Amino acid sequence: MESRNLFILALKELRDALLNKWFWLYTGIFIVLSFGLAQFGMTGIGEYGVAGFGRTAASLVNIVVLIVPLMGMTLGALSLASERERGTLLYLLTHPVLESEVLLGKYLGLGLAIFATLGIGFGLTGLSLGLRGGVSHLSGYLALTGFAVLLAFGSLSLGFLISSLASKGSTAVGVAIFLWLTWVFLSDLGLLGASLVLKLKAQQLLFLALMNPAQVFKMMAIHVLRGGLEILGPAGLSAMRTFGTGLPWILTGLLVFWILAPLGAAGVIFQKRGGL
Amino acid sequence: MRLTLPALLLGIGVLVSPGGSTVWTVTPGGPPLQAIIEQASPGDTLKVQAGSYSGPLVVTKPLVLLGTGEPVIQGHGQGSVVKLKAPGIVFRGFRVTGSGNYLDEENSGIEVLARHILVEQNRLDDVLFGIYLRRAHGSIIRNNEITGKMLDLPRRGDLIRVWYSDSVLVENNTLRLGRDVVLWYSNHLTVRYNRISGGRYGIHFMYCDDANIYENQLTENSVGAFLMYSRRLHFYRNFMASNRGGSGFGIGMKDLDDARIIDNLFIDNRVGIFIDNSPREIESRCTLKGNVIAYNDYGVLLLPNVRRNLFEDNTFLENEEQVAIDGGGRLVNIRWNQNFWSDYTGLDLNGDGFGDIPYASQRFFESLMDRHPILRLLLYSPAVQALNFAAKAVPLVQPDPKLVDSLPRVKMVIPVGVPAPPKHKDPTLSILSALLLGVSIGFTFLGRSRKGRFGSIPKNPSHKEAALPMSERPLVQIKHLNKRFGSLQAVKDVSFEVRPGESIALWGPNGAGKTTVLRCILGLYPFEGEIYIDGLSVREHPKDVRQKIGFVPQELGLYDEMTVEETVTFFANLRKVSQSRALECLCAMGLEEHREKVVKTLSGGMKQRLALAVALLSDPPLLLFDEPTSNLDRAVRESFFELLNDLRAQGKTLIFTSHRFEEVRVLADRVLVLEQGHLVADAPPLEAASTLGWKTKLRLYPAPADLARAYSHLQAQGFDVQQNGSALWVWVLPTEKMAPIQALVDAGIPIQDFELEEEGGRS
Repeated sequence: MESRNLFILALKELRDALLNKWFWLYTGIFIVLSFGLAQFGMTGIGEYGVAGFGRTAASLVNIVVLIVPLMGMTLGALSLASERERGTLLYLLTHPVLESEVLLGKYLGLGLAIFATLGIGFGLTGLSLGLRGGVSHLSGYLALTGFAVLLAFGSLSLGFLISSLASKGSTAVGVAIFLWLTWVFLSDLGLLGASLVLKLKAQQLLFLALMNPAQVFKMMAIHVLRGGLEILGPAGLSAMRTFGTGLPWILTGLLVFWILAPLGAAGVIFQKRGGL
Repeated sequence: MRLTLPALLLGIGVLVSPGGSTVWTVTPGGPPLQAIIEQASPGDTLKVQAGSYSGPLVVTKPLVLLGTGEPVIQGHGQGSVVKLKAPGIVFRGFRVTGSGNYLDEENSGIEVLARHILVEQNRLDDVLFGIYLRRAHGSIIRNNEITGKMLDLPRRGDLIRVWYSDSVLVENNTLRLGRDVVLWYSNHLTVRYNRISGGRYGIHFMYCDDANIYENQLTENSVGAFLMYSRRLHFYRNFMASNRGGSGFGIGMKDLDDARIIDNLFIDNRVGIFIDNSPREIESRCTLKGNVIAYNDYGVLLLPNVRRNLFEDNTFLENEEQVAIDGGGRLVNIRWNQNFWSDYTGLDLNGDGFGDIPYASQRFFESLMDRHPILRLLLYSPAVQALNFAAKAVPLVQPDPKLVDSLPRVKMVIPVGVPAPPKHKDPTLSILSALLLGVSIGFTFLGRSRKGRFGSIPKNPSHKEAALPMSERPLVQIKHLNKRFGSLQAVKDVSFEVRPGESIALWGPNGAGKTTVLRCILGLYPFEGEIYIDGLSVREHPKDVRQKIGFVPQELGLYDEMTVEETVTFFANLRKVSQSRALECLCAMGLEEHREKVVKTLSGGMKQRLALAVALLSDPPLLLFDEPTSNLDRAVRESFFELLNDLRAQGKTLIFTSHRFEEVRVLADRVLVLEQGHLVADAPPLEAASTLGWKTKLRLYPAPADLARAYSHLQAQGFDVQQNGSALWVWVLPTEKMAPIQALVDAGIPIQDFELEEEGGRS
């Protein structure tokens, strides 16, 4: 694999993303919401910096859980499938590039684009908080940014997996939106129902929740912002008791797993299937 | 005033004031401080100069000890460092450090063991307990800075402990890294203006009646203030923020009677206010008024047995759960009046400052969480918000309200005089955020910049241009190629070779396997058998092989949104060829004037030329064309055809699929005929046509009067002829297209016109 080809393909993908109206829609929503939250969080008694920050960071967790997977999955889903549908993917592969270079180049380009979105959102929000004095959790804020990027890359990987299987962009996006709904809404509602009906124990609920990367991100974000998971009740305490000081590493590992596993699967499928 | 003889003998400065008390000046090089203390008389003053003095010090008479330049009393890690045992001692201006580490011995920085002692303006560090008062009624602990030992929380001591000491004033101290500030069994205390952080219980009251606690900052402790088993505590204008940890209360109220919690700020704690069995006595009540309870996980957390509390004029702002009942249940006999609720959705149409409808706390998910705490795991989940929203829209599933405030405020009431910590002025977040912003925006510009879009083309390309294979070994070798799509065998045991400079046509009907063979050569499909290009295995060296091949597909897969120049630049980069070569290829295809045009605006012919320009970028020895002219009109087709002829003349090796015999005949040296995946013939075009009996369809137009005669004559001559309107269709071998015309001319039947209707399609 040549890094030069990765760079060329990543740049092209970045450029394509910047021409994509969905990308700008997501970017706009994310930036407006996150920046707006910073402003809103600092009003009222927000002059006590800690207050504005805590509220803003908590709301950012909500926004990230909602928007970032949608952005990652749909953009990832479009990446291969739409090019396959137009025939450009097959044509690209007739040139001296490997399937793995195409896949990773596209991934890096889109990852860069999403990173830019998150960077602008978190950057503006952080700047707003910093200039107004709400910086009591600097490391927490930076960690939140980092984990949002991990979640974005994880959802992007899943989008690529969908894309490697789909022949049409519209099919891929449909599947991606369904999976997003599952990640963000349906699985949580399922957990809620299951815990009430089956009377799940805290640890059982915890392990089920850990299968959902959005929940993993949420736990990790709360852990870095709050210094623990007490706020999540018995299941949060169970996580702290079960994993102890290894909890952040396990949560980070799970997020990394969600990046590598779907991307690896996408790579195998794409290698086998190619541009067709 | 005069110098005393003993002082002169000891070498220290001593002044006796007219009133009889002595002022001793103590320096580090002189006799031990303890010896001077022993020698001094009650009421004397010791001025201790800067320097280090060994502890422990024990003061058993009412002396005034004044440090000048912060002299250090060093405990050397053993026991308590200073013990003040006589009433009326003043201990000011020292640094006390290095107590022992034994919790059971309660090793302290300063032990205050008598009444009316003043300890002020001292700095204590590396001490297990800080200032420990036992039966020290009326003492004052003021303006001290105390930092505990860097130990795990359970191994730390209390930085201030007031034990059986009434009427003590604890004022304006700064405490860090301790366990608790313990105030037990002591009445009429005043605790004010202190800053306590990083401990377990910022303030811990037990059995202390009639205390005033005000204007303290209690931050980042496990609990800001835990008040227990006390009466008539007046707790006001305190600032409690970020108290999180095991308990995580801003304030914990347990078994308090007649407590007044007024005008405090509870911000960003796990629980703003925790109430357990307060009040405990039937005649008493607790009043919580004018407080701001904001951004906590729980604003107020009450046990279900809590009664007789008044919540009035408080501001409940954006707590995750404004009021929670630990374990669920209903609140009884608690009055909620004129509070501000940030989640209140009513209006104040009459402008009196209060909402027109009562505030009712009845969030669906909160109700679930109170009954099933395990569900707190789903906090911050969008599903939870959706559920609350849905429950609000369907009142049938709304839970009973936890509380009702009949007259909610519509504006916050922020108390004045609360000692908020100074804002952080650390610019790190701003700098890092600006950096992140800059990098992110930089990425977007990188993607939009024309120059940066596809990297720069190397000035000295590593690719060896114009390196045609000159050997006579086959450029293309295909051995026993098989390709299967599911149950369909698309290519069956096809083998052939192509020598450098040869031009090969792949011929066959739709589905014969022509395109599949091309795609196998490009390595786009996994296949069985072997394919070598210039000696390289396609399977093992796909990239190197593709570098040697230029491909023009039937359905052009160019990027519509790119310009012509961007297209060649992008692929030139992938093929590692120079900008000059890219421009050369554009010029060769007559596209230099269209370089700024976007691909989707180009005509079909121009797109085909662009695809050919891209194919030629790396000057590959082998060119593959899949139905190159099928989508072109006649004029463009001919023009493109000429280009292919030129390439052939330049010595390029061509493999192309076509169904036009005219192209095959002119361009191909050999025709490989495929039928249902089998290679059925490999011969020069005319030979192949004859062998396979291919026929070309001629449309002849005799004069209408001669039509029947011409038809009969051709039929008689053995031609395959059919009448169609005013024309005759005649199928002949491609090499014999003149034969029917000549036959009619020879028979004296003139032909007015003719057309080649179809080439090579009928056999």
